[in-house]
Amino acid sequence: MMFASGKLIQADWHTTAEGRDMLSCLFTRNKQGLRTFGLLERPPLSAHIEEVHYKIFVSGKSGVGKTCTVAKLSGHDIPKSHIETAGIQTSTCYWPAKVLDMNKVMLFRLQFWDAGEAASKKFDHIMSACTDRVDAILFLFSITDKVSFDELHQQISRLTSSGDNITKLVIATKCDQHALGEVTRKDIRDFEKTWKIPILKVKNILDNNQSDTNDTVYTMNALCEHLWQRDLILAGKLNKPILLPDSETTKTITSEEFI
Amino acid sequence: MVAYIFCLTTSGGVPVFARSKNGLKQLPFPVIGSLNGVHMFARSHDVELLSTVTDDSKILWKSFHDSLTLIVVSEDDNADDCHLGNVLSHVFDSMVMLLGFDDVTNIKNVERFKKDVRVCFPLIDKFVEDQSLLTFGDLVNAVDVIAAAENAVLQNFLDAFAECADSPYGCLLIHGKIAVATRKWWNLTSRELVLISLLVSSLTSCSSRDIPVFLPDGSPSVPHRLMTFQLTKFIDVCVLCGPKPSLNELEEEVGRFWRTSYESLRAALQNHPCNIPSSFNLDSNILGFIVVNIETNRCLCSVYSSSTTNGDESLDCHERRHILRSYYKHVVGNYFASKVEGSEKIPSSFTHSAMDTYMTTDTYKCYAMLSPPHQIYILYSTDIPTFAMRSITEKTLMILTKDKSTQL
Repeated sequence: MMFASGKLIQADWHTTAEGRDMLSCLFTRNKQGLRTFGLLERPPLSAHIEEVHYKIFVSGKSGVGKTCTVAKLSGHDIPKSHIETAGIQTSTCYWPAKVLDMNKVMLFRLQFWDAGEAASKKFDHIMSACTDRVDAILFLFSITDKVSFDELHQQISRLTSSGDNITKLVIATKCDQHALGEVTRKDIRDFEKTWKIPILKVKNILDNNQSDTNDTVYTMNALCEHLWQRDLILAGKLNKPILLPDSETTKTITSEEFI
Repeated sequence: MVAYIFCLTTSGGVPVFARSKNGLKQLPFPVIGSLNGVHMFARSHDVELLSTVTDDSKILWKSFHDSLTLIVVSEDDNADDCHLGNVLSHVFDSMVMLLGFDDVTNIKNVERFKKDVRVCFPLIDKFVEDQSLLTFGDLVNAVDVIAAAENAVLQNFLDAFAECADSPYGCLLIHGKIAVATRKWWNLTSRELVLISLLVSSLTSCSSRDIPVFLPDGSPSVPHRLMTFQLTKFIDVCVLCGPKPSLNELEEEVGRFWRTSYESLRAALQNHPCNIPSSFNLDSNILGFIVVNIETNRCLCSVYSSSTTNGDESLDCHERRHILRSYYKHVVGNYFASKVEGSEKIPSSFTHSAMDTYMTTDTYKCYAMLSPPHQIYILYSTDIPTFAMRSITEKTLMILTKDKSTQL
């Protein structure tokens, strides 16, 4: 399900006065990263803003950076070295976005579910808990690990079927480590063509600059947009995925500014 | 201070893992192999090699259930061996807690086990990086608590939530220290209490968790589910459950059960890092203290006294913590017996048992006192007259244990 970003959610809303205002309560004071909210807390935004909840399962080979990616997107501290996750960890984050078809701002509450590979193999309940009533699955691979990329096909077929209503997205991690890259742009283009699933890119390093914030904004918007598209399809408001010619899509995704 | 911990299989000497203190270079395999070799050699001659010292370091070996041998290399602090033995027991128990007793004592495939054991590293590293721990539970084998006036209120919230989770086991952690826990939680053994608190603080922060854990004493072979929920930053509520309820289901209840407690939680959070309410009026010469109740397995510790704020910067908190840890190791095993396994050997050989001990140096003074079931270790500034230490220690213990909010 690929479509040009900006069709359902206003892509540049975060640069408007209203958007900047709302985003400022989501970032820490020094703007280094997103703020975290405990389960009893909610961003200090007007209570009138409608909240929509989503459960997102993060899947991928051990060590690709599932925990780091979730930490990055939800504002938690990014672990310095690889840590095998014990059991399930969930992280909740909030993201406001302007939904175009309703012309209003919605607060997306995303709950990422992350499970360690060893634990999910050893204990049966972990996988089923993660995939139960899931709204979206993020498939992660690391550009420094070709095997993790090759495993995607198998993972996608195992966790989803063509008839389900699960939003599927692929995220390439460790995009700051070009030099060690094992997955080429062509691999990525071919993958997108075969599966019609867009690939987003993240680098889970804490660098306090504007482009980093832009990356987060871009990733979160893309995520929310796909979730919203699914909602519209489920509600019967959108009939079929809007497919675009491949050339245009790849251009959006691999644009230099984002890699 | 621990420098290295190595783990090898007892039968074949296959290295399983090596952890070293941050910044230390890893030891080459031949060195690790030799360290294990001498132990194995002794073993084959029916001799058990326990420990050795070099000019400035100490090495201790310990085998567990004929399955794994752990070796610790540490700076030689002239403390009794029981403390390093305690560290290795914690490391072994950590593996049991996350992998299960059966998998740890009956390793079928070493390569597979090496992979599986990685999940224990954050917890094991807590013992390797012991100098950066903010708590003392690992050292005294009792779990760190935080005292707060709000604890009585929070107890009701916790009991109700645990009941909703259909679990008798529940506890509320503030910065990794127990504020309140259900009655059954306190029935866990001391090592279980210490390990669960450390486990939660060793993990990356997140909103909720569902982790299979084995209780080394209570249920070493059948896993329970440890579920934690972050109510607000640095405050987690934990429950130990069976197969039900699911993480999803229970998380939906968190708001309903805890929302009205929010102000109390924020207020209790203020007691970190002192761990005691500011209303406690302790002697101004006190730089830090450890109080342990060896019956209830709780300890209350602090290195942030009122004088931290008024310009006495002779010792920073990091140094105070380090001195208290060293002093504890100096006293326990040499003069006092405590919860640490093996600490009774030397003290029980004396013709009488010591109830008080103290030490004075140019930069600080320390005093320790036994008052069963309590033990107290206090770090004083040099301003205190040595003759006054005993009565002030007695008085401090009284203040700390008699107050309702400390639950000691």
